[in-house]
Amino acid sequence: MKPLICVLAALAMAPLAAPASAHHSFAMFDPSKPMKFEAIVQNLQWTAPHAVLWVEAGKVGTYEAGVWSLELPTSPANLAKMGWSRMSVKAGDKVVVEINPMRDGRRAGQFKRATLTATGQVLSIGAIPGVQPPK
Amino acid sequence: MHTYEPVRSRRLWLLALGCIAPLSAHATDAPQRNPAPTRANWAAIADLPDLSGVWAPGPLDKYVPGGPEAPQWLPAVARQVDHLKQLDAEGRPQNIYINCLPEGLPSSVTQNLNSVEFLVTPGRVTVLSELDGNRLRRIWTDGRPHPADPDPTFSGHSIGHWEGNTLIVDTIGFLPEVFIPLSQGVGFPNNGDMHVEERITLTGPDTMRQDIVVHAPKVLAAPWHASRSYTRHRERSYDLAESSCRQGDFLEATDAQGNAAFVPVPKDAGGATLPPDQATAPAIPTPSGTHP
Repeated sequence: MKPLICVLAALAMAPLAAPASAHHSFAMFDPSKPMKFEAIVQNLQWTAPHAVLWVEAGKVGTYEAGVWSLELPTSPANLAKMGWSRMSVKAGDKVVVEINPMRDGRRAGQFKRATLTATGQVLSIGAIPGVQPPK
Repeated sequence: MHTYEPVRSRRLWLLALGCIAPLSAHATDAPQRNPAPTRANWAAIADLPDLSGVWAPGPLDKYVPGGPEAPQWLPAVARQVDHLKQLDAEGRPQNIYINCLPEGLPSSVTQNLNSVEFLVTPGRVTVLSELDGNRLRRIWTDGRPHPADPDPTFSGHSIGHWEGNTLIVDTIGFLPEVFIPLSQGVGFPNNGDMHVEERITLTGPDTMRQDIVVHAPKVLAAPWHASRSYTRHRERSYDLAESSCRQGDFLEATDAQGNAAFVPVPKDAGGATLPPDQATAPAIPTPSGTHP
């Protein structure tokens, strides 16, 4: 009885419209319209299968000011081999991000590169030795 | 003090037997056991090709799309695959790994972008991986046959034996839904009766090749041949990480009582993360060319 109740409770709480993400294609991002803008780091979501850099930006072109979700094309395990760590950026860091934006106009995109304003350090997605560069 | 007491009642014993017997076609067979490994079993492993450790997969060198090594689909399937490829090209991918179910074979070989770890122990080779969550695959090398009617699974039932530097693996017992992938955006279910043959060969001190042949008579016109090369990494930075496929669906947050809690991250239909204030409906599409 209890497990069923738990399952029902979980179902009731789950946002039905939101699919699990897992390993997904990046076809929703448009590589033909690359963007570059200044932002403040909120959080580096250090999770598999894709890490996510959450930043806040002012008005960018036609985009209203707000939070952006910038998805990295691979997982912490692979990012660590490229020199990243979960401490690579921290909340409040000023960065210039380079992304491929989501096609439907929402403030989301594929992360390509970030430059830390304070130090000039560049964080990018490299190739893992012996592994095909992430798509 | 509680002690174990054998069932003394003959009636109870018969009742118990009556409950168990219908579950087994061979009630008289002794239950099969995995024997405890002996010192000799462990020592024999030192004479096998050394597959131990963490291996990074090489380029997706399996085939050139459209080339002679691409999967040859049955005509009716080929039409459906062409449609899926068209949708993918239009930015509407099928996303065959989006539900966080295990990828299974052949995807775990042909589409993997993460390291895998081989553990060689008496009677089995275990393959661990971190795509998209931690995965487990067992290849039995203790001489057992396939079960007559294995429970279908994502990775199937694998048995293997060594021939020189090569581990020969045979796998059956797949769920029919398991995809034969072209990419992470396009694949086709095997639809049943899939059979996979593999040759895992140590080709140098720290190089390995995995050749795979996929037989899927319900969807393929001919067996599909693919291969992958690997490089071994003894650096600790390559040790497999804990990887949960669903973790990326949540953000670490604090609840109203100040306790640590996971909260769901909004996603678009294709699985991309979204800013919380734009979770439910797309903004009016930005006219093309107006991006800064």
